[in-house]
Amino acid sequence: MKKFKKLDKKFLVVFMLLLVIISSCSDDFIDVDPTEENSEDFFNTEADYQNALIGAYDMLQSSFMNVLLGEIASDNTLCGGESATDVPGFQQIDDMIHTPVNSQLRDIWSWMFAGVNRANYILEFQDKLDFEGKEIVLGQARFLRAYYYFELVKWFGDVPLVVDQRILFGQQFEVDRTPKAEVYQQIEQDLIYATSVLPLVQADLGRVTKGAAQSLLGKVYLYQDKFSEASNALENVINSGQYQLLTDDYVNMFENDYENNIESVFEVQYTDVQGAGFGCFQCSEGNIAVGFNGIRNYSVEPGSVGDIFDSGFSFNVPTQETYDLFDESDIRRDVSILDIETWAAEVGATYVEGYEHTGYYNLKYLPRRGDLNTGDQNLTNPNNYRAIRYADVLLMAAEALSRGGIDEGRARLYLNEVRLRANLSEISSSGIDLTNDIYKERRLELVGEGHRFFDLVRTNTASENIEGFVTGKHEVFPIPSIEIDLTGNRWSQNPGY
Amino acid sequence: MVNKIKAMKQIYLIITFSLISLLGFSQTIEISGNISDVSGLPLPGVSIIQVNTNNGAISDFDGFFTIKGVTIGDQLKFSYLGFKEKTISIKSKNSLVITLDEDQESLDEVVIVGYGTQTKKEITGAVSVVSSKTIEELAPTRIEQALQGQVAGVNITTQSGAPGSASNIRIRGISTNGDNRPLILLDGNVIEDLSVVTPSDIENITVLKDATAGIYGVRAANGVILITTKSGVKNSELKLDVNFYGGFQQTTRTLPALNASEYGLYVNEAHVANGESIIYPIISDLGNGTNWQNEVFQNASIINQDFTLRGGTKKSGYAIGSSFLSQDGIIGGNKSNFTRYNIRLNFNTELLKNLNLKSGLIYTGTNRKALAENAIGSVLFNALNNSPTLTVKDDNNQYTLSEGLGNEVINPIAQIANTYNKSVVDKLSGNFGANYKFLENFSVESNIQFNYAEVRGENFNPVAFYGSGKVFNKDRSEYSESKSVFQDYTFDAILNYEKIFKEAHSLKATIGTSVFKTEGEFSGSIGFDIPDNDYSNASLENASDILNFYPNGDPTFDSRLLSYFGRIQYNYKEKYLFSALIRRDGSTKFGPKNRFGYFPTASLGWVLSDENFLEDVSAISFLKLRTSYGILGNDRIPDYRYVSILNGESEYVLNGELITGVALGTLSNPEIKWEQQESFNVGIDARFLNNELTFTADYFSRNTKDLLLVPDISGILGGTAPGSGAPIINGGDVKNTGFEFQLGYSKSFNDDMSFNINYNFTTLENEVLKVDNSLGYISGGGFGIGQSDVARMEVGMPIGYFHGLKTDGIFQNQSEVDAHPSQLALGANAQPGDIRFVDVNNDGIINEQDKTYIGDPIPDVTMGLNISFDYKNFDFQMYLFSSIGNEIVRNYERNLSLTNKTSYELDRWTGPGTSNSVPRATTGATSNAVFSDYFVEDASYIRAQNMQIGYTLNKNSTNAIGVDKLRFYASVTNLFTLTKYRGYDPTSSTGNPLGGGFDNGFYPTPRTFLLGVNFKI
Repeated sequence: MKKFKKLDKKFLVVFMLLLVIISSCSDDFIDVDPTEENSEDFFNTEADYQNALIGAYDMLQSSFMNVLLGEIASDNTLCGGESATDVPGFQQIDDMIHTPVNSQLRDIWSWMFAGVNRANYILEFQDKLDFEGKEIVLGQARFLRAYYYFELVKWFGDVPLVVDQRILFGQQFEVDRTPKAEVYQQIEQDLIYATSVLPLVQADLGRVTKGAAQSLLGKVYLYQDKFSEASNALENVINSGQYQLLTDDYVNMFENDYENNIESVFEVQYTDVQGAGFGCFQCSEGNIAVGFNGIRNYSVEPGSVGDIFDSGFSFNVPTQETYDLFDESDIRRDVSILDIETWAAEVGATYVEGYEHTGYYNLKYLPRRGDLNTGDQNLTNPNNYRAIRYADVLLMAAEALSRGGIDEGRARLYLNEVRLRANLSEISSSGIDLTNDIYKERRLELVGEGHRFFDLVRTNTASENIEGFVTGKHEVFPIPSIEIDLTGNRWSQNPGY
Repeated sequence: MVNKIKAMKQIYLIITFSLISLLGFSQTIEISGNISDVSGLPLPGVSIIQVNTNNGAISDFDGFFTIKGVTIGDQLKFSYLGFKEKTISIKSKNSLVITLDEDQESLDEVVIVGYGTQTKKEITGAVSVVSSKTIEELAPTRIEQALQGQVAGVNITTQSGAPGSASNIRIRGISTNGDNRPLILLDGNVIEDLSVVTPSDIENITVLKDATAGIYGVRAANGVILITTKSGVKNSELKLDVNFYGGFQQTTRTLPALNASEYGLYVNEAHVANGESIIYPIISDLGNGTNWQNEVFQNASIINQDFTLRGGTKKSGYAIGSSFLSQDGIIGGNKSNFTRYNIRLNFNTELLKNLNLKSGLIYTGTNRKALAENAIGSVLFNALNNSPTLTVKDDNNQYTLSEGLGNEVINPIAQIANTYNKSVVDKLSGNFGANYKFLENFSVESNIQFNYAEVRGENFNPVAFYGSGKVFNKDRSEYSESKSVFQDYTFDAILNYEKIFKEAHSLKATIGTSVFKTEGEFSGSIGFDIPDNDYSNASLENASDILNFYPNGDPTFDSRLLSYFGRIQYNYKEKYLFSALIRRDGSTKFGPKNRFGYFPTASLGWVLSDENFLEDVSAISFLKLRTSYGILGNDRIPDYRYVSILNGESEYVLNGELITGVALGTLSNPEIKWEQQESFNVGIDARFLNNELTFTADYFSRNTKDLLLVPDISGILGGTAPGSGAPIINGGDVKNTGFEFQLGYSKSFNDDMSFNINYNFTTLENEVLKVDNSLGYISGGGFGIGQSDVARMEVGMPIGYFHGLKTDGIFQNQSEVDAHPSQLALGANAQPGDIRFVDVNNDGIINEQDKTYIGDPIPDVTMGLNISFDYKNFDFQMYLFSSIGNEIVRNYERNLSLTNKTSYELDRWTGPGTSNSVPRATTGATSNAVFSDYFVEDASYIRAQNMQIGYTLNKNSTNAIGVDKLRFYASVTNLFTLTKYRGYDPTSSTGNPLGGGFDNGFYPTPRTFLLGVNFKI
């Protein structure tokens, strides 16, 4: 018995000790740091800056929505899709009956701001570390911020402008919409900086170059009718000798093998190596607009001549009028637009007519065979978006020179360079006729590339071309009403909405 | 050992018999016998009294007794704590075999209430217990099935009827748009995935529904479920308990889809309506076509076997168990098989006089295969929408292609054939504990529990072509492997003090500490181009272009909880009851400022039936009033949301290669703190008619404040970037109130016949009081293709209500269309035969702004009715469950002109006056598929959860072959469901607070026919 008692005591002591140990393990037990890096302790090496820059580039891929919806908004195409209720946000914009409740507009709003924030994250910490070539990193970041903000002002007019800092949770109740002019000022400053530091050629294909920054700067000036600044910037690109029109290979311009070609000033890079799903379009590394443009239920004998397209969702279908605008001899027509009825008959393919079937598809950005078709294959098409082509630069320069009354000769020169490549005759018009010829050429050259709606708006010609377009209202899209609510109901809506 | 005891028993019997025969001629006799419980465990210490005399005896260690001085015709009364009394008449001199039934309603029954126990009489909280008897009777494949309808206030919905799929357990409503799962502890061990728990291992389940769950602090807000497994009993004979059942499952329902002829007519009509030529000129050639549902549904087998070996020596008790379950699916058969096997060891011992040790170890393995379900493009979705004019295979023995039916509709049989996946779980759980009593009134207890689980998944998608443009086409085969490792441990140390002062004041005090840590790691890769497109070649070695799912390194998590708690339980003569507790929790989920939370609870009870004024009211056997109030917490949010970390997705293509960088992850909110719930409960427990009638009623109110939720946030914050997301905020209040009633009646008419009926009833009202994101609501859910904002958490509404358009019949003619506001904004101008939507906001236009409340998935009332009836050797049980007032959204229809329809479309509008409920058929543009109450249905139902009939062989005859109990039974689960809902199963729910009531092609809960046998040796 005595022995047991001794043991008892031992156990008692052990237990009490245990209790003490547990108690004294104390509150430190729950001081656990995450294994991932804290965003506020970052930017300690050059690699940190480079890695964050990849994140800022990443959001470019989500601009597929801007391209797709921009084209649908224009008079080039109809919305299409499966049915009248397939993506109501697209259908409404096509018909110019859109309202502040539109989830696709909200996507554009949110994704472009996500890009702004990712660029601003780098710029917020731009002074933390010095290293050789830092200005090239910052130049790219500022170009990207300008790119995203330019999209935002194109779509929404006045938008909150926040520079060199992220908008942190809570601050959404403090920022106001900044007048468009001020946003443009910031865009210009960013691009001027980028122009000054970026090299003509980047080691990595796909990075922003000096030419890209100059071209975007010219475009931004043109959108503000600053013709001399625009022509200066754009002619810098022309005179750099870095770019030329793709001539013999023009027919291949939009093929995968011709990505980043000599005519490409800036391309949004896509790939098919990674899968994607409908739950997160912005997570895809592929060009989702391409799948949306695709021929509905296209089917053909494998290996036959017609086996060059994958199918898609039949959105963004060019109208007969657009097709008919092309001159018979214009080599661009059959590169830009697919006459599906003729084609299907020729190659023995079948397809299903979608909603608002016009008989035409946007051939520049159709899903093509030969890619990896990683699932969901409609969301992983690898076709790069040719965001700024040299032909665009030439036409913008021509427009600036013509409208600004600066030099009609050079304007005609640039215009005709584009026309000759298209197998069209030279134009000798001048004055307003020249400007109109340039406008028309712009439409034909850039059809299917998402520029048309904004060209019409900035030249005040939208209402005469787009059915349902109300002047004083439809120049910009409504701020998604939920965004006004979520920032504390302080912002006024765009006029007319 | 069994044999030895058996032999001893026989000798004993022989001696007894000899004695009896010797004494046969005397007037009084000596009777002996043995007493055991239902499972055959001998019951020592049972008191045996000759009725109306002082003559008595006590059963011994082996349940054996002898009573002298009785005569034939006398009555003997057997009573034992926790068991129902039994009185029998002596009919002969033969030895007696007495089985005592456990009294689940006994007031002395000990109930686990978290870090301690209380008797039913002492309990002041809203606590319910499901006994092993119920679990045994229900023979569920999953333990959730044993809770449905058994416990008032607990509602179970199914995520799927597929084998191995999870159910949603909701205790007293839905309080958050985040995680509503209760805390589940298996022998003190945190369990997240209930599919690894074997029901036959379970001794009982306790559900803590009110603030008394606050002893679990920050994890208690959604209620707590405590599961106790069977353990060995000291001083008991070795017993073997074997269960076997097998049977088959079938679908409860096939929907009345159009046959090929009806379909042909419909399609033709749709084309004509849009000015197109007809598709099927000769309808009579079409016949009935293919019934795709008959093709995908099949009878599927289910078998289960398990055994438990239990016994004990003088100082130790042990249990060893093992089980095996294999269940095929009613869709896909073996392609949706679920197999579970486990081994369980349990050992407890009295090491020293005052020192008890207990330990347990459970290994569980599961292997689950699954088909696409409850989603656009799931197997059933395809079976319902694919054209009946197509055959399964064409003349070349190839699966037919579903051309032109919409990009998401494919041949479901081809889909099943191309599905190859499995998820394998290996899990080891253990516990070890010691309890040491000292200084008379003190005890100290220390327990450690751990779980280690490896989850390995693999998935092979072969090259497949289902028709042009189908989203499920695969040009490249894919094979992926994933592995997740989870491990956690809980360490508890508790000091108890227990004393009764002056035989009146009973005091129990407990202080303790608990430490919990859980961590895990995820990894996985995907590869392409498997040789020959063949599953047998599917491995990463054989694949090309392998991509790691986590290019930035495998993610890990580590979250911890540090807690201290104290509790006082006091009662005065078991009449006035009081309990108070407080817990302090520190959780790694919150930032340094808000890391700790304090959770106090107090409860009171008053046993009125012990008061003088009620003592003489013989009808009332027991009456107790009780109430509780407390603050509970919730920390069920992902880790590190208070700090901004770089785990976003950052990928871009440079030089044609995908490059990975870094980016911000989910937006942080350093201010987040624990969510708190004010939980109030007042209840009454009553028993009448000598305990035959039991009644429990509760009113509860759960007011959740500072709800941890993920709000919709402004896009300017950048939260939509890949790998990012909205922060968590403390941004809402939700109130759940309701009543619970439980009424039970049990009666033993005589030794041969007894009857038991139990009815419970729960009402629930859910209201969102605040959503703090300047919108006043959070939207979610999805309908059809790409329709969002269809479910909302909004102030003044029940959480997750359906947000859509109200309809007002069908436009009969053009003048009705002209007289109505334009519906163009929905997609198309209305025409006669289209749905007329209500201009809710009266602005003269029908658009998104007219969306309003059109139903919600929360039932107003749920009920359970359990009846059991024993007659001689037969036993019969029936369990019914009913849910009333919940709505469901029919979202399994693709609504395209060429997809198939169900038969209600036969009543469609075909001209003025033909229908005012089902719109016209047309291939043209309509707005009829916009989310509206046309798609919302009443999902109230009554379901026969389980019906069972059993036959137990006479004990005397089975004893002869060494078997204590041998019972055969036949059961049907889910025999019928009475509902107006047109889909498969009104119980469908994803469990998401927002978007939960949308039926996207739900895998119905099967009807299961089982034959089973259990025997105990």
